[in-house]
Amino acid sequence: MAWLHTWAGLVLGWLMFVIFLFGTASYFQLEISRWMRPELRGGEVTDMALDAAARFLTARAPGAGRWSLSLPSGRGNEAMLVSWEPREGSEGDVGEAPLDPLTGQVVALRDTRGGEFLYTFHYQLHYMEWWLGRYLVIVAALAMLVALLSGIITHKKIFADFFLLRFGKGQRSWLDAHNVTGVLALPFHLMITYTGLVTLMFMAMPWAINASFPDRDALYGASSPAALNREASGNTAPSLPFSGLLDRARVAGDGFDPGYITIRNPGDAAAVAEIWPQNSRLVTRGRPIYLDGVTGTPLFAPSSRGAAAATQDVKIALHAGRFSLPVLRWLYFLSGVGGTLMITTGLVLWTVKRRAKLPDPARPHFGFRLVERLNIGVIGGAPAGISVYFLANRLLPLHLGHHADWEVNSLFIAWGALIVWTIARPAKRAWIEALTVCAILFGMVPVVNALTTARGFIPSLIARDWVFASFDGTMLAMSAACAFAAWKTASHKPRSASRGEARAFVEVAL
Amino acid sequence: MIHAASLLLSLVGFALSLLAMARHQQEWLGRKLPSAHGRALRRSGFLLLALAFIVTSIGPGWAYGAVSWFGWLTMAAAMVVTANANHERFLRKVRQ
Repeated sequence: MAWLHTWAGLVLGWLMFVIFLFGTASYFQLEISRWMRPELRGGEVTDMALDAAARFLTARAPGAGRWSLSLPSGRGNEAMLVSWEPREGSEGDVGEAPLDPLTGQVVALRDTRGGEFLYTFHYQLHYMEWWLGRYLVIVAALAMLVALLSGIITHKKIFADFFLLRFGKGQRSWLDAHNVTGVLALPFHLMITYTGLVTLMFMAMPWAINASFPDRDALYGASSPAALNREASGNTAPSLPFSGLLDRARVAGDGFDPGYITIRNPGDAAAVAEIWPQNSRLVTRGRPIYLDGVTGTPLFAPSSRGAAAATQDVKIALHAGRFSLPVLRWLYFLSGVGGTLMITTGLVLWTVKRRAKLPDPARPHFGFRLVERLNIGVIGGAPAGISVYFLANRLLPLHLGHHADWEVNSLFIAWGALIVWTIARPAKRAWIEALTVCAILFGMVPVVNALTTARGFIPSLIARDWVFASFDGTMLAMSAACAFAAWKTASHKPRSASRGEARAFVEVAL
Repeated sequence: MIHAASLLLSLVGFALSLLAMARHQQEWLGRKLPSAHGRALRRSGFLLLALAFIVTSIGPGWAYGAVSWFGWLTMAAAMVVTANANHERFLRKVRQ
């Protein structure tokens, strides 16, 4: 079983590391998005803004087939986003515009993918076809599940040694750290890996669909009830204002927290409003409420999606944690950090364990060198890339075309540059330098933020803007952690093998 | 408030289960306890962890509470592990 754990963990370990790292950051993807759009001041959506949105849509897309309005969640991620689509078969354009949630005026936001990119990357990767990225992630997640289950058996002392962490003992300490980060958050690791596979299950296990449905669309049609729609009557009648429709939805559904509203055939006597809740519940994915667009009376609610679909919804909710309030969100995040550290220590342990047994430690064989270099390049490089992603958001000129794409490219250029640099350096120096670069880059994020926007750490604290203040604080904590790791690596003196041998000799002699 | 209570209960619960283990008794107390005491410590430790689950589920319900509970268990265990890894430094401070 040990070989299974070693090789399942090693071969896709770097991909698992990247998935865990980006996935952990994604627990704060809305907060990251907010930080990356500093033009936008958060705040509760006002009725004035809702009325302004309706006026904007009336002027911009009067004959549209549907108007949609996406409301920012309580976490204040986005602008209020309005979008419009033409009627079927008629002329007209599709478009969207961000509005300020306080005033309803159109805001000019910098072009960025925000936290959504980190989230998408963690299940789809980048610079490749989306399906290829997802299949790679599926393979890595399967390997992770195998590594976890075989790890429980391989490291069978994890429960007897539950509290054991001994520092300064070389390989023993790495093993302790791997065991402790693994076992303390073991429920999380098992849950996140399994539910992660559930989110991609139709790609991982397509045969069940083939066996029961003629094609994929038939499955989707059967598993999600069709949206309620009415033909346009041709008679005009003023639709209720957004604020009125949202209020009625709150009354119609007990504790309903609207997140998204679509009006089909706005301005027509047969207009229908479809209102979706925010993703704030664990147990049920919200179902939409349908209202008559003119009178606001509730229309029939489509039937529920059935037990299997509900089970899938809960698993996905458990994975993504969108329902969690701030404290639980931090617990999710810290458990994710634990998982990332478990993979890190596992990968490093592979080299530590084998270095002692190398015939000539100065000239290790190819496999050892490859693992060692990938460890440095991925474990040191990916966090550096993320910090550069944040820096690029502030430093790239705003008038640059494809600003969002260049932010993403900056991430991978920095990561690639660090890999090239560390390959050319001796292993220990490479670790120290990669970690130092990470510490400097993360430390620069709050500084650059303070210099390029009016929303630095201190002003954010004064304004009680906890999202901005916590973001900068987290960057400083990351910087400190990388600096600490670099310092530990630099001050580490490998105990000479001869001393250990000498002691063994003495023990035998005595 | 509930979060603090949940963390505190889990912390004490894990500290008791730590002290139920012979190896850690030696480190913290300087002697081994009779096995009956160890069993009592372990049982009360698990009892407190179970109590933490009940406390965490007050208000948000057991579904949300269970997710929170696992999170706090991890945090509390990590704190106990950190304290245990530094037990020499800890004891020196206490003795002074």
